[in-house]
Amino acid sequence: MNAAAQPGQRVTTPARMSIARLTWINVSKDLRLEWRSRDVFNSMMFFALVVVVVFSFSFEREDSRPVMGGLIWVAFLFSTTMALNQSWARELRNGVLDAYRVSPAPAEALFLGKCLGNFILVMLLECLMAPLFVVFYNLSSAGPLWQLLLIAVLGTWALVVNGTFFAAMSIRTRNRELMLPLLLLPISIPAVLSMVTGTSQVLSGEGTPAVQLQFLAGFCVIFTTACFLLFDTVLNAE
Amino acid sequence: MKTKLFFAFAAFCCLFLAFGTYQGLVVAPTEETMGDVQRIFYVHVPAATVGFTLFFVNFLASIYYLWKRSARADALAATTAEIGIVFCTVVLITGPIWARYAWGVWWSPRDMRLNTTLMLWLLYVSYMILRRSSTGGSTSVLAAALAVFAFLDVPIVYMSNRWFRMSHPAPMIGTPRLDPRMQTVLFINMLAFLCFGALIAWFRYEMERTAQKIDAAHIQKAAGGAAAMLLLPAAFFMAPGHVAPISYLWGGYLAAWGIYVSYLLFLMGKLARLKKEAAELAA
Repeated sequence: MNAAAQPGQRVTTPARMSIARLTWINVSKDLRLEWRSRDVFNSMMFFALVVVVVFSFSFEREDSRPVMGGLIWVAFLFSTTMALNQSWARELRNGVLDAYRVSPAPAEALFLGKCLGNFILVMLLECLMAPLFVVFYNLSSAGPLWQLLLIAVLGTWALVVNGTFFAAMSIRTRNRELMLPLLLLPISIPAVLSMVTGTSQVLSGEGTPAVQLQFLAGFCVIFTTACFLLFDTVLNAE
Repeated sequence: MKTKLFFAFAAFCCLFLAFGTYQGLVVAPTEETMGDVQRIFYVHVPAATVGFTLFFVNFLASIYYLWKRSARADALAATTAEIGIVFCTVVLITGPIWARYAWGVWWSPRDMRLNTTLMLWLLYVSYMILRRSSTGGSTSVLAAALAVFAFLDVPIVYMSNRWFRMSHPAPMIGTPRLDPRMQTVLFINMLAFLCFGALIAWFRYEMERTAQKIDAAHIQKAAGGAAAMLLLPAAFFMAPGHVAPISYLWGGYLAAWGIYVSYLLFLMGKLARLKKEAAELAA
């Protein structure tokens, strides 16, 4: 981005970086910041842990498999919402969004970078939380594990891509942090439904989640496209 | 407001609705298994048709706004979303009343059709909340972007009947499974309610334009519908085990018309307020 920061000079083609490189810069910046402060990750992790513990008190433990899909995804959904709010709040505090608006770098790179950063963070959280679910609910999967993994990857991407977009939208409103769940949850209901159904199916070993996986893949494609097409508009909305 | 034309259209709508309701309650044949309760059909399905149509108009207006940034398109989008919520509320209230009689439950949480309709309602309520809480000039752009996202869910809602197994019946319109006389009555009611929807939309649109002009757009979501939804749980707990079937029918019609009328009253109140404000500004 240093190439773009020369004042009074219109950036010509040679100085422009490819979207892939800009995206990588954004991702590595986000991850580096997170690695140094661990603000978001720690609070997200602790929140998910508390949710798991509260759920384990609230629900009967005998044969929890049919409801496990719901519990897992509700815990992840809420912690994801928490992380997403923070990811843009940091940029707003430091005026990064204004800087990005005046720079010639395409907004899509910023969006993709944020998405990937959040995706890595949430996937990491899921990997760390999975053993906790196993311990607290004495869980074992009756179906093949790779199906669970596939659902987790597609589902997390569906949550993160919409969440990143709507977090960018909600920080533009008056009641910033409050707005995100209000916008994100209704939009993600179809995805959450199929994630929950699919996960429960695999865990209880009743049928294969083929329909759910197709649905999730379609959902990811449609909404990723929509996010890319509209992000520039939302970033520059005045 | 083109007053004469508006009132002529309003009178036409009233007559058409009265005719449609008469057809639905009296002329249409009684269904074999559900009896008279099935007549909720003639308010339930038309309300869904109008609601989805309005959401589609909202989508088109939002796309047009993102393209041309026209204030008229923005007013149209705000209008159609709000009225769409009202019609969707009617669907969501008459549906459970009918379901309680036909299936024995108010709501079937595993049913994709029900879930997706509720989700659509939530989406457009969140749209109205976004319109209210965003700041200054960004409102219209952000709302239009959200409208595009919300509408992407509509095909999912529409196709869910065909993709997933569930208790809500698949659409029967135009198929031999639906009695042709019922079909005629349904179409009459659909047309009548579409006219009704267009009438309210026209009224509300002119108001929105006035509001834009005097820069006092106190945009409010369909408060009546939301309040009705809040009152509903009380009714669920009070409902005794054996209710005369016909009361489901009256319940459905009363709920639907209660919502329409309270929304109209809400609009009247809003219009009076806007007129007062405009007069104050002019003075």
